[in-house]
Amino acid sequence: MTDTPSDDEIVHLARQAGLILPAEYVPELIEAYGHVRRMIGRISTVRPHGDEPAHVFVPSVFLPGKSRS
Amino acid sequence: MTELAFLGIAEASRLIADRKLSPVELTEAYLRRIANLDSQLDSFVTLTADRARAEAKAAEAAIMASGPASRLHGIPYCLKDIFDTAGIRTTAMSKLLADNVPARDAHCQEKLAAAGGVLLGKNATWEFAHGGPSWDVLFPPARNPWDRTCSPAGSSSGSAAAVAAGFAPATLGSDTGGSIRGPAAACGIAGLKPTYGLVSRRGVIPNCFSHDHAGPLAWTTEDVAILLQIIAGHDPEDPGSAQVAIPDYSLAPTGDLKGLVIGVPTKWLQDEAPPAAATMAAFEAALDVCRGLGASVRPVTLPPLQQYDDSKKVIAVAELFTIHGADLRKRPELFGASLRYRIIAGSLVRAEDYIQAMRLRTDLARSLQAVMSTVDLLMLPTSEPAGKLEPVPPSSLFTRASFTTPFNVGGNPALSVCSGFDARGLPFSLQIVGKLFDEATVLRAGDAYEKATPWRDKRPAL
Repeated sequence: MTDTPSDDEIVHLARQAGLILPAEYVPELIEAYGHVRRMIGRISTVRPHGDEPAHVFVPSVFLPGKSRS
Repeated sequence: MTELAFLGIAEASRLIADRKLSPVELTEAYLRRIANLDSQLDSFVTLTADRARAEAKAAEAAIMASGPASRLHGIPYCLKDIFDTAGIRTTAMSKLLADNVPARDAHCQEKLAAAGGVLLGKNATWEFAHGGPSWDVLFPPARNPWDRTCSPAGSSSGSAAAVAAGFAPATLGSDTGGSIRGPAAACGIAGLKPTYGLVSRRGVIPNCFSHDHAGPLAWTTEDVAILLQIIAGHDPEDPGSAQVAIPDYSLAPTGDLKGLVIGVPTKWLQDEAPPAAATMAAFEAALDVCRGLGASVRPVTLPPLQQYDDSKKVIAVAELFTIHGADLRKRPELFGASLRYRIIAGSLVRAEDYIQAMRLRTDLARSLQAVMSTVDLLMLPTSEPAGKLEPVPPSSLFTRASFTTPFNVGGNPALSVCSGFDARGLPFSLQIVGKLFDEATVLRAGDAYEKATPWRDKRPAL
């Protein structure tokens, strides 16, 4: 993660995400985002290019009457 | 005969099959008890009394004509109010769904109805099975029948409270980070989070798609097994549904644990998140019971608990925002403060962060399955005994370590059973974790433990 964003920057980022909050909810967003940033900071690491995430696309799941086994 | 409301599924089923108990009589016993006592607990948000009477009458006629169609035939049950029920309001406790009446049943409800069960009603939950306890949502939070000033935990709060109080012998809940096992633990009952994919989530209002599980809660492990038998199985309409053979879970109990190896994640319990001394003493006593039943116990090492929490919660906040973003943008005031706090920052989680969390999940799941390949079961406390029912800082979701979340990350089956009572009379809990799709061994252990201990003989007094 980059440097900690200011409160105004957090509000700006939320606006970019289409979340234009009434002023009364902005402190909630800022505080909650602090927790989420700390979690993201702890999980961020350099990984091999081919490191697949836990969920991959299994097309057979979407055939009628089929699913993963 | 034991008071009807405390019979349990297995015993009631036997009596119904022997024509010694009428489903109508049994249903009326539960409806009377709910009418007289649920004002103390608020465990139901919707009661379907007329429908229950009609279903009980139909079950009685069918059983008299040709015997029971299943072990649930004529037995009442209830559902957490996030399971869709055709024609019956399904609110997820949220003002956003105050008037939501589904047109179709959830897959699990279809199975329970087809088995001849009698639906009593819908149970209180935390808002969208995630934010709570809350006093600013559609209904008040459920209370703990062992002490009404205490929390039944969440999010399957009303489900667990109702079973413990003898308002129903069976219910279904959902578990994304511990929402079946936590309430089962707080209310002193048995609750199973099955393997991811074993039970369909179709028609269960989503919390976090990648970690959501549906599963049964009941007074005993034996009753949980009966419910699992009915609801487990492939559903092509759930993309996460597994195609696996469903064993006969009634054959799982052997009355002992001979030959089983139990792993204990000692680093979590000693260094990372040490439980209170009384909780550890109850856990050690439970392990001694398991040794006496023939199991051996040894320490195992898993990745840090915090990694499981971080991975799951980053994924969850992103998925939650995806589910609720449209409503949050248009009408944030309709959310309870607890849930709103817990999803609002999902708007700022980048795709890169979400995928990194999913990559970490791969590592954590592999590590867990590697450890599980060296033992038959893991055991650890489910949680601390219940605390007071009072507002908690919504940030606690992000800061509190959880002994249940790792098994949502790994997808493994995990059962919570009662393991005694603390000095206040609130239940202790034992969590029993199995290999993927090995619910049978988990149920065998839970059943043997319950039958070797006196904890199933005590009910809360209302």
